[in-house]
Amino acid sequence: MRRRLAGLSLLGLLTLTAAACGSGGGSGAQQPADGPATITMWTRAATQAQSERLVEAYNKTHRNQVKLTVIPTDNYQPRIAAAAGAKQLPDLFAADVIFVPNYTSQGLFMDITDRVAALPFKDELAPSHMKLGTLDGRQYTVPHTLDLSVWFWNKDLYSKAGLDPEKGPATLKEFAEQATTVQEKLGKDGKVHGTFFGGNCGGCYVFTFWPSVWAAGGQVMNPEGTTSLNDQPAMTEVFKIYRSLYENKVTGPTAKEEQGPTWTGFFPKGEIGVMPMPSTTLGSMPADMKIGVAPIAGPDGGESTFVGGDSIGISATSRNPDAAWDFLSWSVGDEAQVEVMAKNKDVLARTDLSSNKYSAQDPRVVLVNSLVAKGQTPFALRFGQTFNDPQGPWLRFAREAVFGDVSKLPQLNAEITKSLQQ
Amino acid sequence: MTMTLGRTGRAARTAPPARWRSRKVQGWLYASPTAVIVGVLFLAPLVLVVWMSLNRWPLLGQATFNAPANYAKIADNPLFLDAVLFTLKYTAITTVLLSAVALGLALLVQERRPGIGFFRTAFFLPGAVGFAAAALLFYGMLNNDFGPVDPMLQALGITSEPVKWIGTPDMALFSTITLVLWRFAGFNMLILLTGLQAIPVEVYEAARSDGANRWQIFTRITLPLLRPTLALMLILSVTGSLLAFDQFFVFTNGGPDNSTVSMVMVIYRDAFFRFDLGGAAALSVVLLAALVGLNALMMRRLR
Amino acid sequence: MKRYVTLSALAVLFLFPLVWSGWASLKEPSNYLEMARFGEGVGTYATNSVLVSVMTVAGTLVVSALGGYAFARFDFPGKNLLFLATLAILMVPYATILIPLYVLLGYLGLQNSLVGLALVFVMFQLPFALFMMRNAFEALPRELEEAALVDGCGTFRAFARILLHAVRPALITVGLFAFLASWNDFFAPLILLNDGASFTLPVAVVSMTQRTFGAIDYGMLQAGVMVMAVPCLVLFIVLQRHYVRGFMSGALRG
Repeated sequence: MRRRLAGLSLLGLLTLTAAACGSGGGSGAQQPADGPATITMWTRAATQAQSERLVEAYNKTHRNQVKLTVIPTDNYQPRIAAAAGAKQLPDLFAADVIFVPNYTSQGLFMDITDRVAALPFKDELAPSHMKLGTLDGRQYTVPHTLDLSVWFWNKDLYSKAGLDPEKGPATLKEFAEQATTVQEKLGKDGKVHGTFFGGNCGGCYVFTFWPSVWAAGGQVMNPEGTTSLNDQPAMTEVFKIYRSLYENKVTGPTAKEEQGPTWTGFFPKGEIGVMPMPSTTLGSMPADMKIGVAPIAGPDGGESTFVGGDSIGISATSRNPDAAWDFLSWSVGDEAQVEVMAKNKDVLARTDLSSNKYSAQDPRVVLVNSLVAKGQTPFALRFGQTFNDPQGPWLRFAREAVFGDVSKLPQLNAEITKSLQQ
Repeated sequence: MTMTLGRTGRAARTAPPARWRSRKVQGWLYASPTAVIVGVLFLAPLVLVVWMSLNRWPLLGQATFNAPANYAKIADNPLFLDAVLFTLKYTAITTVLLSAVALGLALLVQERRPGIGFFRTAFFLPGAVGFAAAALLFYGMLNNDFGPVDPMLQALGITSEPVKWIGTPDMALFSTITLVLWRFAGFNMLILLTGLQAIPVEVYEAARSDGANRWQIFTRITLPLLRPTLALMLILSVTGSLLAFDQFFVFTNGGPDNSTVSMVMVIYRDAFFRFDLGGAAALSVVLLAALVGLNALMMRRLR
Repeated sequence: MKRYVTLSALAVLFLFPLVWSGWASLKEPSNYLEMARFGEGVGTYATNSVLVSVMTVAGTLVVSALGGYAFARFDFPGKNLLFLATLAILMVPYATILIPLYVLLGYLGLQNSLVGLALVFVMFQLPFALFMMRNAFEALPRELEEAALVDGCGTFRAFARILLHAVRPALITVGLFAFLASWNDFFAPLILLNDGASFTLPVAVVSMTQRTFGAIDYGMLQAGVMVMAVPCLVLFIVLQRHYVRGFMSGALRG
């Protein structure tokens, strides 16, 4: 009997320890019954800096407090899916704008149509983000942070290669010529390359190649996002130019294998002449590096951009929608946009504020801000699984178009359409 | 399904019959924490997985019963069927290499000699790096532009130009297996070392005084007495390889061109990219059933 | 001598990736400063990681030592079924069972809790730990236990006083593996914890390294790998003297 008791007491001890620790660990999640509300918010690590600045400024000036949790970028989607499955979504969550239509159609966001309609500046909110936040005429999200694709060129390398350092490419063909010049003049030692792109990364392709299609007046999908138009001449022209850049060894040798983790890492090292880059990386470039910024152009001109970044909405299960909306409406208001976003050279969510007292200091920022109204964000309910997913049909299509067998494209394009319609 | 893998485990039960009933109760008491953990944290969620596999399961909102649609559509999933073949191939190669390398390392470091602690630590240390981080580390190390491996191989005259480490299907598999060996060989070495330690020194001494040579000692004493430990390692390796995920998800991305897509990658994709929780649950149930069957078979063989 | 040449060559191969990572991370020491200030501060994440790891190791050791003894030395109804169910834990795809687990921990009031996370880790460690401990107890000579029983010890005292000492190498292996698994695991804390203040180190480190559009900050990654690996290195060096041949015979004599 004594030994049995000993065994039992050990078990009891284990349970007790667990219980004691449990009350300590769990108490942080409790909310006070009245008084100022604390709302929870999630964002992905890629846009953490902007979210943190907004939340900090809001918490300083408001009684309600926002508690921000940053989640690793690559795992954000699984995290949201798991939280939704367990009905434990936070009050507010930001999401990569291209995933928003899918989340909305799954019912993850709350309808905020009437609240948005009451905003005096509702028509000035980044139009492509607003379009993706709309489903069946109802509005679910507002723009949160914006990240645009633009061409960066390295002015020092341009000077050394005998190019005009102040004149970047105005067409995709000029882009190719200038990249080729840099490669021919400076590429001998194998360190410097004309250009670079993520050749085994579906998200990189759409972000950097599609704006050239839009700039030429073309489209990549029908407006409903259910039919792929990537086999049309507007797209194939763009592929052809990049294909010849790769075949002539103007790109870094690893372009074909690049899956994404290092694709933005070569330009800041001063190893690339000209390439498409996310606009948010401008602030993190080496201070002594002279960088020119140009809008992405089509083969013969025009200009466009992929308006990426995050949109944000109130989760369908939030118990604090009013407090959550208070933060959202403040975050797109004049003060937050100018004193928080513009002050840190971030792209603004409002087209009417693109020229402000801070952006005037850097003409490149004005240029990026001005592109928000011109650029596009493609709409498709099945965007992620078709275009971003490495096992999706788009990556195979793009790789055949740039590195492989062009005759396979019609069939692969049909698979993209099939995936979009699933 | 008794799994008395140990030699001593087969020794005659000597407990007197009078204490038999009480020993039954005692056995249950000792096993009860295990039963609670397994029941509450594993079997209960597992039941939910099975239930999910019988439903169309949206992220939010009401599930609708649709059995057996989630199972029926597995046959129409070419990505998964390809992944089955690839994963089996990967498992076979990895298990053979990993067992051989781990056993070799364990034998090299099993005896106390000056400096042996350093070597044990060196072989084991990669196991201290998280697997996803290790995969990213390899991705950077094998990068043709800034990774240190290519210049070193060229300086040593082994290769003349950068190697496409993950550029072709075969190289991608080779590089992945290298990563796995690096990360897990020390781990498995430790498991085997624990098994080696359990062999009483007296047994070796007796064999040596009988005039057995080193090879005879290895085949007649070490291997048979290591059997339960080898069985554990084999089960861990086969099961772990069949469930391989991080090494492909992070390191090769399933590429180039879907040549290294493992089964769990497909499940992950269905659950978290396509939000088809019911379909992913069905794939998981099928995979679990296959693994339980396979392991039952292996254990029977290894008895 | 030949043995040492082989060992040294192998050691170079095994250590190279880590040495490269450490060396590269020191080229920009600012990475470590940035890491220390990230989010809630590296101290919070390290504390969470230590708490979870300690709870996991303690839980795994207690459950698997008791269970291993039961499976090695006792017969009871449902024994084989329980053993098979435990081993099946190994065989379920990790990602799929986490969503139901997340729901379940919510029912138990353990959502967003380090205790809940540690319990999940104990569960995932159990197949390995139980197998290991069962093998260890089975390998003990039966006489050891019987001598204690004859001396008037009950089974629990025999277990606690004598047998546990005899299986110490297995306990250390099980504890070490439980530590490594809980210290390094990324996916379970990512899914099961809701609040940035309760995140563990791996989640924070991965957050720090990921930049926009899939880009990885390699300087941060290498620094992160070092911060994660150093405690494991220290622990292993401390414990590794227990992996010394001849221990068993010592226990027999004692």
